Amino acid sequence: MNEDLLKKVRKIEIKTKRLSRNIFSGQYHSAFKGRGMAFSEVREYQYGDEIRSIDWNVTARFNHPYVKIFEEERELTVVLLIDVSGSTFFGTNGSLKSEVITEMAAVLSFSAIQNNDKVGVIFFSDTVEKYIPPKKGSAHILRIIRELITYKQSDTKTSFDVAFKFMNNVIKKRSTCFLITDGFGKFDESLQITSRKHDFSTIIIRDKSEDEIPNIGLMRIHDNETGKDIWIDSSDKKLLKTFKEFRKKQDEELKQKFNRLGIDNIMVYTGEDYIRALISLFEKGGRK
Amino acid sequence: MFNNFEYPYFLLLLILIPLLAVYQYFFKETAYTTIRYSQISPFENAPKSWKLRLRNFPNYIRYVALALIIIAIARPQSHLSRDEKNIEGVDIVIALDISGSMLAQDFKPNRLEAAKDVARSFMQERANDNIGLVVFAGESFTQCPLTTDHSMLMELTSKVECGMIQDGTAIGDGLATAVNRIKDTKTKSKTIILLTDGVNNMGAIDPLTASEIAKDYKIRVYTIGVGKIGMAPFPFQTPFGTQYQNVEVKIDEPLLKDIAKSTGGKYFRSTDENSLKTIFKDIDNMEKSIIDVSYYHVKKDLAFGFLLAALLLLIIEALLRKTILRTNP
Repeated sequence: MNEDLLKKVRKIEIKTKRLSRNIFSGQYHSAFKGRGMAFSEVREYQYGDEIRSIDWNVTARFNHPYVKIFEEERELTVVLLIDVSGSTFFGTNGSLKSEVITEMAAVLSFSAIQNNDKVGVIFFSDTVEKYIPPKKGSAHILRIIRELITYKQSDTKTSFDVAFKFMNNVIKKRSTCFLITDGFGKFDESLQITSRKHDFSTIIIRDKSEDEIPNIGLMRIHDNETGKDIWIDSSDKKLLKTFKEFRKKQDEELKQKFNRLGIDNIMVYTGEDYIRALISLFEKGGRK
Repeated sequence: MFNNFEYPYFLLLLILIPLLAVYQYFFKETAYTTIRYSQISPFENAPKSWKLRLRNFPNYIRYVALALIIIAIARPQSHLSRDEKNIEGVDIVIALDISGSMLAQDFKPNRLEAAKDVARSFMQERANDNIGLVVFAGESFTQCPLTTDHSMLMELTSKVECGMIQDGTAIGDGLATAVNRIKDTKTKSKTIILLTDGVNNMGAIDPLTASEIAKDYKIRVYTIGVGKIGMAPFPFQTPFGTQYQNVEVKIDEPLLKDIAKSTGGKYFRSTDENSLKTIFKDIDNMEKSIIDVSYYHVKKDLAFGFLLAALLLLIIEALLRKTILRTNP
């Protein structure tokens, strides 16, 4: 069991580390800049330096022009809000949604660690299931990955409200926040508060069988969140159509809400390449 | 058609079917394999399709098939009263006098031929009885033992001829031979039809003794006296060919009446071919009435039809389950 777990952690580490290092380290860096500039040192004025940056105090003292050097403030805090409700325990295209969530969280963590950022994680369902406070270092990342893998989904519902309120209370400093979820649940005003306080992006993981059910006759389906069972007739064309329209409408409303609040959002399907989606997310962040 | 069951207690198994249905409804339904899905709320208020409504239909078909199988195990049977008379038939031995006097031509063409004709049609009508033929004159012998093979019997009857044995009339011997033939059969109703045209004048056994034996074995003896009242033309062989001479007809009627009476039969006097036919018809009818009294059941198993229906239903059920009412997983 333990060895198996180690293997899994290692596998995800190798895969995601490579991705974060090679493919979009630069993009991540530029997308999530620090807040403003922090003074680091003064040096002698050289030809071509901006006059504006001359430090008059030091210049007066040494009788020689000195300029202030500012550095971009790094040491960001990245917080991953991870949905571990029952509905993520589903997937028809090679992997479960929860597996994709794990991988994406790992990629983001490694990207953050390469930029010397702190990473914290909040697991939530209808309560906050686990909180890993922001820290640096690859050992911390490996711990996060281990938690992501070992966390067992139960028949639990989703409440974004609880997660946002907890986040607002715990993370006081402005941070970069990624919400990784399947989007089945209600968003209310706490989203707005959180999105103002932090750099907030949403990654929605979906399975294509959640947009359209395949026609496989009568089936009894089990709701992972409520634990209820229901018979449906997947050969009923009317039902399929209604369902497809329902889902489309739901997604559109969600997207509109995010756009109105200025939240970057992407949708990733299981079995698809999520790197492309992540790059597009970083590009969006960079434009801000 | 009245239906009855050979093992009606098996019908108690029918109680199991409602129990099975209840079990299926309360336990199997929850144990049904489900597909885990992220969200079912969009389906909760969706209208049910007809397939969903018919989802349990194959189960109902299976219950019906099961009920049919149980009914088949209980062996439903029908009783056919039409076939009843054919099963326990009557044993009849016809004792036929073939003495020379049977060639008298008061019957057409002669007494013997007329008797043979009537006997043959009698045999034909009673197709399901055991019938035998004993002939006698001066002695007696069995021309055909009791048999249901009536084509053979009729053929043997046709071969009967006058002069096959020594001339004379041994009524006692003839009756005794007939009794001997019939006494050991298992059939309840035993009948001898004794046909003669003369007076007992030969033989080792007294007719009355023979009738006593018949009575002991509970055999009814119908006696028929054949011959015109008065004179009848008899053939005589002369060097100039066959000549006819009128001779007075002598039948020992008191003896025949006595035999019939003591054994529970009846004496008939036949004066021509038509009356002989009527007599045989009467005997036929009398024997028929006896059969009707002894009731017999023919049981016909109807289980096969039930099984066939059950099989058909099971096939339909399987087809439904695999095609339009297919469930997953």
